[in-house]
Amino acid sequence: MTKTMTEAPALQVSGLWKRYGGTAALAGVDLSIAPGEILGLVGPNGAGKTTLISVVAGLLRPDQGTVRVAGVDAVAQPDAVRPLVGLAPQALGLYPTLTVRENLTFFARLAGMAPGDARARAASLGAAFGMAGSLGRRVQTLSAGEHRRIHVACAMAGRPRLLLLDEPTAGVDQAARADLLDAARSAAATGIAICYATHHLGEVEELDGSVAVLHHGRIVASGMVRSLLAAYARPVVELSFAGAPPAVAPGDGGVLQGDTLSIPTDDPGGTIARVVAAAGPDAARLRSVEVLRPGLGAVFAAVTGEPYPREAAPPEAAGAP
Amino acid sequence: MHRSRVVARQELVLLVRDPLPLVLLLAVPLVFIAFLKPAAFLALIVEGYPGTTGAEQAVPGAATTFSLFAVGLVGLSFFREHGWGTWPRLRAAASVSEVFVGKVAPLVAFALLQLGFLFAAGILAFGLRVRGSLGALALFCLPVAIASVALGLLLVGLVRTLPQLNACANLAAAVLAGMGGALMPLRLLPGWVRTVAPASPAYWAMRGFRSVLLDGGGMRALLLPGAVLSAFAALFFVVSLGFFKQRRRLGWG
Repeated sequence: MTKTMTEAPALQVSGLWKRYGGTAALAGVDLSIAPGEILGLVGPNGAGKTTLISVVAGLLRPDQGTVRVAGVDAVAQPDAVRPLVGLAPQALGLYPTLTVRENLTFFARLAGMAPGDARARAASLGAAFGMAGSLGRRVQTLSAGEHRRIHVACAMAGRPRLLLLDEPTAGVDQAARADLLDAARSAAATGIAICYATHHLGEVEELDGSVAVLHHGRIVASGMVRSLLAAYARPVVELSFAGAPPAVAPGDGGVLQGDTLSIPTDDPGGTIARVVAAAGPDAARLRSVEVLRPGLGAVFAAVTGEPYPREAAPPEAAGAP
Repeated sequence: MHRSRVVARQELVLLVRDPLPLVLLLAVPLVFIAFLKPAAFLALIVEGYPGTTGAEQAVPGAATTFSLFAVGLVGLSFFREHGWGTWPRLRAAASVSEVFVGKVAPLVAFALLQLGFLFAAGILAFGLRVRGSLGALALFCLPVAIASVALGLLLVGLVRTLPQLNACANLAAAVLAGMGGALMPLRLLPGWVRTVAPASPAYWAMRGFRSVLLDGGGMRALLLPGAVLSAFAALFFVVSLGFFKQRRRLGWG
């Protein structure tokens, strides 16, 4: 049994379907996360991220397909799976009239910890999230960033095998965001598998783990972030001139826009050298050179044929304390 | 079972952390008894119960009525989880049945405390005399408390917002208490009310209480009212569990 549990993926989703009326929110999703892996689940609003997380967490029943957490069938044996999963939903979920310690202890106890262990776990999580001095404070007195940290910490309280984080940085400042990304990395380093659902592609690039791109309920691309970027997102060299750019032939499908020449290329250094050489005396009019490295947005655009919605923001977290 | 215990403890902590509703549900019925007692005294004489103080109607009437008003607490217990966003995490960590049991147990305990407190206050402060078995009276409080909490669960299953819950809970408590004879003895109410009264759990609660307090009854007299209240509770539980399993979303407003 132990052998199976340690060797099994932390999460294995196969052929998962979930329909709302005639609309398929999930249309045959296959996904696997290994212990200690951080999988960024990305996609615009409505792609199916929250539905997928809800199904894995046991909040929704799938219409078809299987979900196995650490080798255990989550649909057939929900009681066995519950202690293995930690959920931080998109909307904040904390007891505002209770203290930080009481919130953390409650979720640790709910996951099966003994009272003493739960209190010790609350103390260690408080320290890990930079809230050691606030364990005795009521949650309703915390700032938005502190709320979000404790919200995520509560999901880790029961030492889960699989951590489901749905838009974990919604509504926080840069410092809290960085802390939350660090917390995710630290948790993964202890062997916890993390499904990190977000519409902020930059966060997944920063985590530099694996990524699954969800679009209209389907995984349209998946793999390591670096591999996907290498496969789908070519760097672009942008050269700006004083006046019209010279008529050069870089051979890379450059695009002229005003006084800027943009050239997609796999070899930015070589391309710049070729353009400068070809420009001859006009090279003196070169004002700036910039190498743009496209992110996962370019991957999304390449695999879906649609631009990634830049302003896609999650709905306001309802019920925030 | 472990998870139900943890949820129950959490529920107790949340109730105690904001104790005003509990205090009001214990204190206001005392005022209510003081108001009702003189009229209840006259009503009991008209009914043919000389030698009573009026507390024999006023105390169980207030206990039954405010036990029904406590259904709002049941609703609040669930709406709070939705409003605070903790419901999905709770549901991810425990089954519907575990959450149900964990939430219901402390509320039944409070309903029992409320009934016990009001009857004790009735005896000590309002001249209530128990002509029948005190033990049977104490035991009968259990189906009354469970039926009230179950009614609260049913209301949570039927409504979608907190304002709806408040309106329905207060209306249900007033109507069911009135038609069950908790506010005024049934004999003094119109015939059509007496006809529909058995549809109210309050009718069976009052019938049981009065049989012990006024008619000197014991366990045997409480069998039928206790059984009917238990049936009400079972029906309410089953229907409300069905609603909960539909995973409807509740909201503050």
